[in-house]
Amino acid sequence: MRKTKMDVDRIVALVTAAGIELTDRRRSARGDGWSLSFSNGAAVEVGDDGSVRVTGKGAKAVAKLLDLPTAPRGS
Amino acid sequence: MKRSSGLALFSSTLALCTSAPAFAAQPGDPPNGIAKIETVVVIFAENRAFDNLYGHFPGADGIDKASKESLEQRDRDGSVLSELPPVWDGLTAKGVTPPVTQAMTEHLPNEPFTVNDEKGFNVPLSVVTHDLWHRYYQNQMQINGGKNDMFVAWADSGAMPMSNWDASKTDMWAVAQKYVLADHFFMGGFGGSFFNHQWLICACAPYYADADKNPAKPSISVTDDSGTALKVADNSPKSARDGIPKFVSDGNLTPDFYAVNTMQPPYQPSGNDPAPGGDPRVADPAKPTTLPPQTEPTIGDMLSLKRVSWAWYSGAWQYTLDHGNHTPTPNFQYHHQPFNYYANYAPGSEARREHLRDAGLSGVSFIQAIDDGALPQVSFYKPQGNLNEHSGYADIQAGDRHIADVVAHLEKSPQWPHMLVIVTYDENGGIWDHVAPPKGDRWGPGTRIPAIIVSPFAKHSYVDHTPYDTTSVLRFITERFELPVLHGIVVRDRAVAAHGEPPLGDLTGGLDLN
Repeated sequence: MRKTKMDVDRIVALVTAAGIELTDRRRSARGDGWSLSFSNGAAVEVGDDGSVRVTGKGAKAVAKLLDLPTAPRGS
Repeated sequence: MKRSSGLALFSSTLALCTSAPAFAAQPGDPPNGIAKIETVVVIFAENRAFDNLYGHFPGADGIDKASKESLEQRDRDGSVLSELPPVWDGLTAKGVTPPVTQAMTEHLPNEPFTVNDEKGFNVPLSVVTHDLWHRYYQNQMQINGGKNDMFVAWADSGAMPMSNWDASKTDMWAVAQKYVLADHFFMGGFGGSFFNHQWLICACAPYYADADKNPAKPSISVTDDSGTALKVADNSPKSARDGIPKFVSDGNLTPDFYAVNTMQPPYQPSGNDPAPGGDPRVADPAKPTTLPPQTEPTIGDMLSLKRVSWAWYSGAWQYTLDHGNHTPTPNFQYHHQPFNYYANYAPGSEARREHLRDAGLSGVSFIQAIDDGALPQVSFYKPQGNLNEHSGYADIQAGDRHIADVVAHLEKSPQWPHMLVIVTYDENGGIWDHVAPPKGDRWGPGTRIPAIIVSPFAKHSYVDHTPYDTTSVLRFITERFELPVLHGIVVRDRAVAAHGEPPLGDLTGGLDLN
């Protein structure tokens, strides 16, 4: 899990500018943030408290774009 | 909701065709001499509008021929913008040095600008630039009935849609000068890569049955009364100069469940992992972005039906299956592999083994097949991500040189004397073009894109003004091999005719077959 403070619209802007399309955006199941999916397979959970968690196939590339520590594969 | 009757009708036609060749190609007989073409190669690059690369090509309908009105962009309220908004977050991709920052793009005049202009930003063709929205509804909103004056208004990248390049020194420019540049070739569907790859092989919109009863439900778009534009959210910035527009729901699905923006293939390689404990060859079907396997007939099915050999060659396909994806190279793109969405090409099937082929890293296996004279009668080639010219993660120069190298190999192939090569782009990548697309059906055509026709039968140094769209590639293949006509082509042709538009061509306008 990677924790940092970031706004959901800012995350979408930074990732999509790199040619990685947003493929899904919805409120999280717990209702405490947003769940984002991207075309490279990355999934980003953005809490309303600003926390960020990156998982999925494309996590490494997305974490780099967001200046997060590199996420291990499948985290 | 129920799907249109097109699939059922066409499935019946397909069944009849297996025993009734009288159902072969329409409309009309194949052009004289078309049988001289024995090998067809389709090279599908990424995300460039015609004016973006060939807007200053001699003899072409380029930026220089555009009216002043078509050059000006309007704000979301319809007023003419006094200047372009900045490129939000800057023109160059993250990590590029020196960067062109957002501040450096302030106060651009309301007109197209050339990115590699030595007196301007002077960014070379080898630099990766900011990506832009290239989505189904936004594309229609930007085209604005053919006026093309809302590209900036409905973009997520400020001024970026008005960018173009001086590509006159590129290798493919030289190829276009030698052979045929088609300057009225339009993308088959509105929007992005996922949808336009579907149009290249199927001339159809993928479908997600009962999408309102499963995890994909939040991905159903909300449109305004026109049905062709997204409903703007109350909190959306009123002016393009104030920020990126917001919509009530900008999803992957239409309100009647057609998939028009990027979804993941149901089979590996897919952006979605297999389900825990599930078949490792399959993407988790419970993920809301996994598209269920599609069953609409494709051009591949038609070719197989007539026993015409064919293959989809994908750069880095096997590498990605074996090692996973890596960036920046090869940066395999899951949604650029259209046959991987179809049940007929599911893992384990003979059709998949025969037709979905690995082009190798940097296309090395595809090039070997070219050199060996071992290409099937119809080949599609999809370059790997870093060689496809897509904004955001690829530059123009690398892809252009790679494709020109492939063309050079094709020219020396034993199969060259009877070959037709079409080099085109899947879509415009959200970038402005000044020519109004032909009025067609619900799905397209969209914005104008470059297309280069290469063949020993190609007219020499010729600009072909014939109207084409992505389905024109299918028209040629259909006519040449006397295939049953895909339903979407029939619908497209009827729609174009109903609007009083000239018919879309079959690429033979660029050939001299006599």
